[in-house]
Amino acid sequence: MVKKCFLIFTLALSLEAKSLYEHHCVSCHDGMTITLEKFFFRYLLKYSSEAEVQKALFAYMKNPKAETSILEPWLINRIGIKKPTTLNDKELDAALKDYWEQHKVFGKLK
Amino acid sequence: MLALKSWDTHLRASEKKTLVSFLLLYAFLTSLILVFVAIFYYASQRELLFQEKREILSTLTNEHIAHLKNLHNTFDKNQTYPRDTRYESAIFDSSLKEIFSTLHSNSVNLYEDIYFEKGHIYFIKELEFYYLGARYCALEIPAPQGWEHAVYQKLFLYGGIIFLVLVVIGYFLLLLLLEPMRQAISLLDRFIKDTTHELNTPVHTILSNIEMIELATLDASLCKKLNRIAIASKTISNLYDDLTYLVLSHHAPSHNEVVVLKALIEERMEYFHLLMESKKISQSLFLEEHVTLVIDRKKMTKIIDNLLSNAIKYNTLKGNITVTLTSFSLSIEDTGVGIEESKLPHVFERYSRFDTTVGGFGIGLNIVSLIAKEYGLHVSLSSELKKGTKVSLSW
Repeated sequence: MVKKCFLIFTLALSLEAKSLYEHHCVSCHDGMTITLEKFFFRYLLKYSSEAEVQKALFAYMKNPKAETSILEPWLINRIGIKKPTTLNDKELDAALKDYWEQHKVFGKLK
Repeated sequence: MLALKSWDTHLRASEKKTLVSFLLLYAFLTSLILVFVAIFYYASQRELLFQEKREILSTLTNEHIAHLKNLHNTFDKNQTYPRDTRYESAIFDSSLKEIFSTLHSNSVNLYEDIYFEKGHIYFIKELEFYYLGARYCALEIPAPQGWEHAVYQKLFLYGGIIFLVLVVIGYFLLLLLLEPMRQAISLLDRFIKDTTHELNTPVHTILSNIEMIELATLDASLCKKLNRIAIASKTISNLYDDLTYLVLSHHAPSHNEVVVLKALIEERMEYFHLLMESKKISQSLFLEEHVTLVIDRKKMTKIIDNLLSNAIKYNTLKGNITVTLTSFSLSIEDTGVGIEESKLPHVFERYSRFDTTVGGFGIGLNIVSLIAKEYGLHVSLSSELKKGTKVSLSW
């Protein structure tokens, strides 16, 4: 019984995270010059591992600044700096995890 | 004064133990030096190989990184990992997790710059920009054919030469170490040889003259005194025989014949009769008939004399000597002072003495063991303090 409850809870969280990512991230970035994938590869280029990428993204989402942005100054001038996320820590973590899973290199190389 | 030029020098077991210890220590140190030399040589050869390959590996890695950069920028269109026939490669993220690999080895040491493993050379480079998230790039090329075999061949060749040189040095060191030992033993041998030679004539003169005296014509008191002189002379004569055998006779060829042991034992018991009587020692003889051995009679006599002499010498007053002869063994047992258990392993060594209250040089059992060894006889000794000693010969 406990196991079943735990599984349902985990599934619910995952579905909620996906919707959070799509709702809070994809919806805003849709139609932008720089796609979410391009952003991902910029983070990958600078931070390498999953842990480091998520740590940097988390910090930026909570407190976006020009100094901590992954974009070059001329792009910041053009696009601007985003507003701090409205998601709480747990929600943000789940959304970032989903972001990593969708764009990660692992398992895609042939 | 006679000093024989052909004297030999025997090493005691304790001295042999010292020599064996020295040889083992020397062999250990020699091996240790050789192992260090081998490790140093192998490392230097490997370093030479790395120096030779480092430049080409660095160039290949830069080429590979350029391919990774290209793939990073076009990942949405192309996801094929760059491959090259000249090398195999792998990329790892900053948490050392493998992103992709075409290497033969499953585990790569990313903390090394360049290393050799199972016939391959591995070159590791840390990327300035983490294309595809790769912080480390590892390249693998096959090591030159037979490189390791050639190194081992040289190692064994040079190692063998060095080992031989060290063995020769060790041999001369051993000779130097032995010299003082040999001098001390030879001094003792020379002294014994000279002394025994000087004893020979007077002892035999005394004995032959006593034998010529008709004891029946003398009164009891004088007869007793003559018996004592005879006993003392026989003791000296035995000692003389032992020393002579030790320094001379055991080099002489043996004259083997069929010896009837019962008769010989009875003859020697008779010879020691006076000596036994002086200590009021009783005898128990259990001698089987027709037991024979093909042996030099003088040498068998020497064995029996030494065992009987010891049994009398170390026996208590009014003690007993039991002589048992079977078809396959001879044992002589006394009821004397016995030997400490810790000293038993040294009883057959020359100049080993365990009771200094009685005379002797500590050569009797050494002679017994030398003759026994010559004829393949097995000698065993068991003893208990204050109870007695039993020496057995079996064939």
